[in-house]
Amino acid sequence: MLELSHVYMKFGGVMALDDVSFKIQDKSLTGIIGPNGAGKTTIFNIISGVYSPTSGRVYYQERDITPLKAYQINRLGIARTFQNLRLFQRSSVLENVMTAAQNRYINSYSETFWGDIKPATVREPRSKYTFWEAISHLGRWKNSEQKLRSTCLDLLKRVGLADRAEQAAGTLPYGMQRRLEIARALALSPELLLLDEPAAGMNPEEVFELNDLITGIHKYFDLTILVIEHHMDLIMKICPHVICIDFGAKIAEGTGSEIQNNPKVLAAYLGTEDEEEF
Amino acid sequence: MKRNIFLIAVGIALAFWPMGGYQEGIIILMCINCIAAMGVSILTGFTGIFTLGHAAYMALGAYTTAILTVRYEIHYIPAIIAGGLIAVLVAWLIGVPTLKLTGDYYAIASIGLGEAIRLIIENWQSFTRGSRGFPGIDPYTTRFLAVFIFIMLAIFTFNMLESNLGRELKASRDDIIAASLLGFNTPRTRMKALIISAFYCGIAGSLLGGYMSFIQPSMFDMMKSTELTAIVVFGGLGSMSGTILGSAAITLIMEYFRDISQYRMLIYGLLLVIIMVFRPEGLMGSREIWDLFKLKIRRRVKNNA
Amino acid sequence: MAFTFTTLIQQIINGLSLGSVYALIAVGYSLVYSILLFSNFAHGGFLVVGGYACYYLLTQWGYGVSISMLGALLASGLVAVVTERLAYKPIRERTPITLYLLIASMGVNIVIENLFVVTVGGRLHALPRSTFPTGTFNLFGGVTISASDVLSLITAIIFLSALQLFLSRTRWGLAIRAAACDIKTAGLMGVNVTFLISLVFFVAGVLAAVGGIFLSVRYSLYPQLGNITTKAFVAAVIGGLGSLPGAVVGSLILGLAEMLTAGFISSQMRDLVVYSLLVIMLLISPSGFFGKKISEKI
Repeated sequence: MLELSHVYMKFGGVMALDDVSFKIQDKSLTGIIGPNGAGKTTIFNIISGVYSPTSGRVYYQERDITPLKAYQINRLGIARTFQNLRLFQRSSVLENVMTAAQNRYINSYSETFWGDIKPATVREPRSKYTFWEAISHLGRWKNSEQKLRSTCLDLLKRVGLADRAEQAAGTLPYGMQRRLEIARALALSPELLLLDEPAAGMNPEEVFELNDLITGIHKYFDLTILVIEHHMDLIMKICPHVICIDFGAKIAEGTGSEIQNNPKVLAAYLGTEDEEEF
Repeated sequence: MKRNIFLIAVGIALAFWPMGGYQEGIIILMCINCIAAMGVSILTGFTGIFTLGHAAYMALGAYTTAILTVRYEIHYIPAIIAGGLIAVLVAWLIGVPTLKLTGDYYAIASIGLGEAIRLIIENWQSFTRGSRGFPGIDPYTTRFLAVFIFIMLAIFTFNMLESNLGRELKASRDDIIAASLLGFNTPRTRMKALIISAFYCGIAGSLLGGYMSFIQPSMFDMMKSTELTAIVVFGGLGSMSGTILGSAAITLIMEYFRDISQYRMLIYGLLLVIIMVFRPEGLMGSREIWDLFKLKIRRRVKNNA
Repeated sequence: MAFTFTTLIQQIINGLSLGSVYALIAVGYSLVYSILLFSNFAHGGFLVVGGYACYYLLTQWGYGVSISMLGALLASGLVAVVTERLAYKPIRERTPITLYLLIASMGVNIVIENLFVVTVGGRLHALPRSTFPTGTFNLFGGVTISASDVLSLITAIIFLSALQLFLSRTRWGLAIRAAACDIKTAGLMGVNVTFLISLVFFVAGVLAAVGGIFLSVRYSLYPQLGNITTKAFVAAVIGGLGSLPGAVVGSLILGLAEMLTAGFISSQMRDLVVYSLLVIMLLISPSGFFGKKISEKI
């Protein structure tokens, strides 16, 4: 489903990614682990099109997406969350989700100037009305908006935020903001979901709930998930397949127990004996 | 829906309430200022693009309409629409290269663009009569016309903000990277906002020409552009009702001090500083006026329960 | 207008002279920008204060040229400091959004300009002819240099070198350069940030006053004289906001561009060329020739 092939990323003189290649199977739940600063988020930034790699290719469903822009990649069905939350703070929780849900461009990235989606390429448009219907509130506006609103409320119920729908997103507690980010990404009905450190800053109890949420989403929405974490425990619990990154290079790949017993991984996390002397 | 009926009622009152010529003038000026401010508010308050050059789009509208009605004797209604459309066209031409600038840099570029447009109008003497101004415009801006256009555009604006386009603009204002990763073509989002705002300013300029009967490039200088942005900030960034209230308030205040005209600008400058120092979030913050009522009702419900 | 070698040389001299005045003003803009990251449009107001202070000290109170100028520099510097304390400090302590500072600075500019309109009136004032040497030198082929051209060039060089020495050789200069990199860290390292910002505004005000005096000699004195600082602002952007060498280079480019346009195309096109240069520069490189590029972490 997703393949990175010999990806290099250079920032100035620093090699952030050094020949990274891996494949993700369709409908799988894969984890990427690695110490802080290993280049995990850079991988996400390259997949989602925020950066384009210095060299190397990214393939999604057999298609080369390396030259595409972020919004085009998103419209092919890849959604992501952010390590440092990027919610629309002033908008309400519901509005955050609606903003995403109105954009369901599956396998297509064309639109007319006013954002009217070219109909043939859309599976199930939730918010389809023209600019003129939008400013006059005539025609399909009312129906579309109502449908959009109810789908989004359903989604909020799934992540346990339905009773907070009208609250401004920035005023939510931290753990809930993380859930909202996941809900917002899900509203795009992605086929591949990238979760960037979803457990960062959470207490153990919240992490436990998050585990359930992620595995639940994986089953219920039937999609492919790629999770970044630097806490090994979370990844080991939920991900059948794990990739380990250190200093921008892939050092190991395999099942959880394989990774846990890999000497290179242990060295990356605990430091080798040479390093310990310093 | 309730809001639109309220706006129409206000419109009928403004348009048909019997009043003297002086008051009529103030109403017309208020409508014109509100239209321009709504345009800038869409761009600055709702899309987060700061501009210090939007008076140029007013100039384009004013000159287009003036030249079409006086020189080519076209009826004023198509001429006003043409004024808005020319502003849109120029905004689009300008926006393609410049909208990739973000933050302060777009604001600085807009100073340059605004002044450049004004200077081109000033130097194109054979067509625009240059800096001496363009006299003899038919006074087509009646109170009814100004109020009608203002109310119509206000309804469109509020409706637009409650649609997918409104959410798209706000998303790119709050976090442009998150917006692009939710599938919004953000350069195009910014372009949409610029084009709509240029249309509003163009229409406002056209109406201003018909109200004053005389236009001059110096009416649309950087001072005027700053005034537009300042009004939007005064009303509250991200509050359309705040923009309208702020614009109406500033028009009235400036009108009140008309007799002591040399103190007018002094007061205006002081007002800008005082607002920035004491209430930088503006009159309304980022709420709309009916949000305040909702809040009150909810509080009352809570108290009763 | 025919292209002649004489005109070319003449316009280059005029351009350098104008550019040196711009440089004095633009460096002030850039200095404030490097610390507080906003474009201080009240700079034009400081300049007008300097011009009027010099005028009144010379004509009404009859002081000598050097004392009047010194007074003008002080007056302008003080107005800058007071402006910062009264208007900008409360804003920057409350919010990191620099737009509010920008609008407030425009407000201050309008206030200062109109204070002079209300008190001394909008008419033109001229500094007494005896203030500056007025002779002209004839060079080869009909090129003339006026004494005030030479004087403005020399003054600009003296003041800008002094500024450079101050920034590179003194403790407070070092503190200012540190704050330009990162004002919060500089504060944590024990720099008195409030005093430092006042100092920066004082220096910017002094430089604005020098520019103001030269501009009032060149064009005579009126309340809207400060509007000319928009061009110095453009020069600062072209050089790269926040960079002092950039401000100087940008000013000289702008002065030359303006005078060459006036000499070979038409003087009405001067401003158009200025603003076109601004937009073109921003499109090619928003941070100008010397500005620092800022990128966001995702």
